[in-house]
Amino acid sequence: MFENFDLNNIITGDGIFISVVGYVVVFAALFLLSVFISNLKNILNFLQRKKLREEGHYAAEFENLDITGEINAAIATALYLYMEEAHDIESAVLTIKRIKKDYSPWSSKLYGLRQFPRK
Amino acid sequence: MEGLEQFIRFTGFANITLGHVIMLSVGLLFIYLAIAKEYEPLLLIPIGFGILIGNIPFLENIGMQVGIYEDGSVLNYLYFGVLKGIYPPLIFLGIGAMTDFSALLSNPKLMLLGAAAQVGIFLTFMAALALGFSVNEAASIGIIGGADGPTAIFLSSRLAPDLIGAIAIAAYSYMALVPVIQPPIIKLLTTPEERKIKMKPPRAVTKLEKIIFPIVGLILTTFIAPGALPLLGMLFFGNILKESGVTKRLADTASKALIDIVTILLGLTVGASTQATTFLTHQSILIFILGAISFMIATAGGVIFAKVMNLFLKGDDKLNPMIGAAGVSAVPDSARVVQSMGLKEDPSNYLLMHAMAPNVSGVIGSAVAAGILMGFLLKIL
Repeated sequence: MFENFDLNNIITGDGIFISVVGYVVVFAALFLLSVFISNLKNILNFLQRKKLREEGHYAAEFENLDITGEINAAIATALYLYMEEAHDIESAVLTIKRIKKDYSPWSSKLYGLRQFPRK
Repeated sequence: MEGLEQFIRFTGFANITLGHVIMLSVGLLFIYLAIAKEYEPLLLIPIGFGILIGNIPFLENIGMQVGIYEDGSVLNYLYFGVLKGIYPPLIFLGIGAMTDFSALLSNPKLMLLGAAAQVGIFLTFMAALALGFSVNEAASIGIIGGADGPTAIFLSSRLAPDLIGAIAIAAYSYMALVPVIQPPIIKLLTTPEERKIKMKPPRAVTKLEKIIFPIVGLILTTFIAPGALPLLGMLFFGNILKESGVTKRLADTASKALIDIVTILLGLTVGASTQATTFLTHQSILIFILGAISFMIATAGGVIFAKVMNLFLKGDDKLNPMIGAAGVSAVPDSARVVQSMGLKEDPSNYLLMHAMAPNVSGVIGSAVAAGILMGFLLKIL
């Protein structure tokens, strides 16, 4: 199975040249893309800051305009709780509703009790 | 009586060979792994069943038109999509429509891990050359190290169509075996302290960034490697369908119905292409060995590069070197492996989002590598 093994094949097939150049180019392509993405954030932050300043918003002076995943999670949770109106702490106001009960002999307790004969 | 004899000559029992038995066993093994172990069932079931279909013995070349290599057979028509490299870009369209590049956009330096892991492709390319494969065949074998089935099929359809079956099976097998192959290599190359490193949570990425990325990504990568245009073009197209927010219907179709249909056709025909009479050769076995080596080198390359990056990073910018292993483009399996290994070391350490960054970068990296190899070798031809 390995009878054709010969390291010279790598040289005659331009193996080292293709591999080195190929690997460097892959690296270069992805490096350029990562540089672009890094700067994209800065460009967009700059534009956002400019817009915030024009609107006179105090957030324009924040050092970091990024929102971390944790902050996002907190905002999402707060919104969810607000929308669902779920809450941990009860207010002290009692909200028991008084129910009006009209008298009816049919439901009178008095008639339900055993009537003892008068002496 | 003559008719009965002819009928018996036509049956599978009369035409079975040891090769058929071996391949049928491989097909059954794939189906077993998919169902019992849940290793990439969406790939292994179609491929495994395809292997069964492709290895039912029959009398070849008598005009029955049943085999995948017989002109006019249904399987032959479906296999056309593999041979001409039609299915891989369609798969990439679906992948693009499913992929969220947020993790990558949030921490762009992780993109380098996806580049580092491509070392497996080029080292295996040289190893295949040394073993006597032609330069085009060697490039097609090397790309298995990218752990990207569609890319491997695409490149071999252009450079070495005769090896497509073996290369595709090797690539998909190793993709399915990510949970088996990667953990020992990761453990070997990292210390328990390194595996416990917690990375800072990714920042929220704006919608505008997500929309700009596929446009610039396409222009930048395909200007460097135009050979990868069918793959990267579809990948980024699928992604903008998703991120633009105005083509939800198209993104839904690309990420669900379309990719499912193409996966079925691709898996089934790749499996059926392993017909024992043409598939079981010394070459195929060598390709399997080289593919495994390629995959291991790629994993190691990513992990080692992450450790090198850590030498230059400080404080909470440090990387958990395990995420380097996700630089191979087996999406999302290698990221999942990193996540589960991270949780084993520290139940509060969630690495999935961090690992997804090199993972999707690996998809781009292996497609770029394929484009570069095509650019080189089509010129040499």
